[in-house]
Amino acid sequence: MAPLFWKLLAAACLVWYSTITVYIMVRGFKDIREMLRKLKQTRNSVTSDE
Amino acid sequence: MSHFNLAIDGSIVGIYLLGTMVAGLIVRKYIGRVEDFLVAGREMNVYLGVASLAATEFGIVTCMYTAENGFRYGFAGATPGILYALAMMAVGLTGFCIKPLRQSGVLTLPELFERRFGPGVRRAAGVVIVLGGLLNMGVFLRTGGEFLVQVTGFSLSAAPGASGLAAWMQAHTLELAMTVLLLMVAAYTILGGMLSVLVTDYLQFIVMSAGMITVTALILLKVGWGKLVETVQAVHGSGGFNPFAHPQMGWPYVLFNALLNLAAVLTWMAVIQRVLAAKDARTGQKVYTRTSFFFVARFLIPGIWGIAALAALGPGTNSLQAMPRFLATFLPAGLMGLLVAAMLAADMSTDSSYMLTWASVIYNDILAPFRRQGWTERRGLRWNRMIVAGIGAFLLLYGLWYPLKGDLWTYCGVTGTIYLSSMPVLLIACCYWKRASASGAVAAIAAGAVVPVLYLALEQVPATSAWVRANIGPYYSGIAAYLLAGAAMVVGSLAKPALRKEN
Repeated sequence: MAPLFWKLLAAACLVWYSTITVYIMVRGFKDIREMLRKLKQTRNSVTSDE
Repeated sequence: MSHFNLAIDGSIVGIYLLGTMVAGLIVRKYIGRVEDFLVAGREMNVYLGVASLAATEFGIVTCMYTAENGFRYGFAGATPGILYALAMMAVGLTGFCIKPLRQSGVLTLPELFERRFGPGVRRAAGVVIVLGGLLNMGVFLRTGGEFLVQVTGFSLSAAPGASGLAAWMQAHTLELAMTVLLLMVAAYTILGGMLSVLVTDYLQFIVMSAGMITVTALILLKVGWGKLVETVQAVHGSGGFNPFAHPQMGWPYVLFNALLNLAAVLTWMAVIQRVLAAKDARTGQKVYTRTSFFFVARFLIPGIWGIAALAALGPGTNSLQAMPRFLATFLPAGLMGLLVAAMLAADMSTDSSYMLTWASVIYNDILAPFRRQGWTERRGLRWNRMIVAGIGAFLLLYGLWYPLKGDLWTYCGVTGTIYLSSMPVLLIACCYWKRASASGAVAAIAAGAVVPVLYLALEQVPATSAWVRANIGPYYSGIAAYLLAGAAMVVGSLAKPALRKEN
């Protein structure tokens, strides 16, 4: 019973980890672009206020 | 003999390092304010947050001790990872403490404490946090270097016939390699702050994950799950699968780790800085819930590597060095490069985040009295960069080049418990208990420090050493530190209630 628990947990870890890595590769890149765009906007508005 | 091939594996590592440096340095132009430098202008979204939190909280040191847990305790050694994941999931779902923390708009934890308990508690908390954090970080470089030397098979002694500078350089390969690595990390952290940390964390998460998944898949394919289970059964018996049945673990180990991990989820600055950098409280909570399962993998995957090392090398091997020794000969050329790049990624992301984290507390809280007149953004940025550089220099001298005479792990244990036993008590009281006062906060910090320091002192005295280890042990003493810090907050606050201005 106990070895089965660890087997299922290890399988879940590998499946989850592989999936989330690919997902983050795509979505994380979008997040970076969005973050840099907003920071650029903020910098431009601060510069124009000055 | 290691399978590391300088041409194939060295090229993989070189490409990774070049990519990271370019990405880390290219975003520095977006830094205009202290808030950009410390919390990336609070523009971090969920998936970048997940990548950053996961990369930050997995370094070579983590990989070494979680693999050692697998070697020493079998599958039961992954129990702290399950407890950490449960704590993070619960905090993420409920927003317990992290929601009011993010909504307060502070840059650091001690800044929140000042609003409730006054400037004295802010500075005291800042000192405790920085002391605990830096001493913990002091072991990162050398341990990381030792892992890399083991898996790559580089010699640490001068070649026969070598003399002068060449001999000195060969004898100090580890120190020189880690110095170059730290200088690279420091360069992009000093220039780009949290923004560079987030972007490089993203790349490092991908490289680190690719390496970890590939190595684990190869172990399962070549060694086999059945062999791992057989080994654990033969060496550890049922205790290798159940922490309550293991003679060196039991319920005190589980309870201590549950408290420790909840405390880390709530107050470990490198973790909660992702909440503070999130664009709102809801995003911070999502980062927690979606990263939580990673902490099971963080313990179980290197744990499997440790069990595979146990199967290959036997229980007589040094438990800390078993995993790198096993991987050095198990992985073929090409995959060695991926492993080294993955481990470098893990270490660099941790180093950069931790340097920035402790710098933020030094600047924001310990230097707060000197900034009363208000510093310009330019001056603030300059100071932050100098502090990050200073932390880098400290790490090189204290953790790498200076030959440590004491037991650094003991210092880390003590300072870690002092930090993690009292800070969660202050945070919970600050957020949810109206009668909490500055006196209670000071009493909690003092009480959280007394137990670990007393335990350490008794452990060092020959007359009491054996008795405290046999009758108390680190888990009971750790549990007592948490309970005493909580009790001190209640008693201190009721004995000397908060003044009206403190509220």
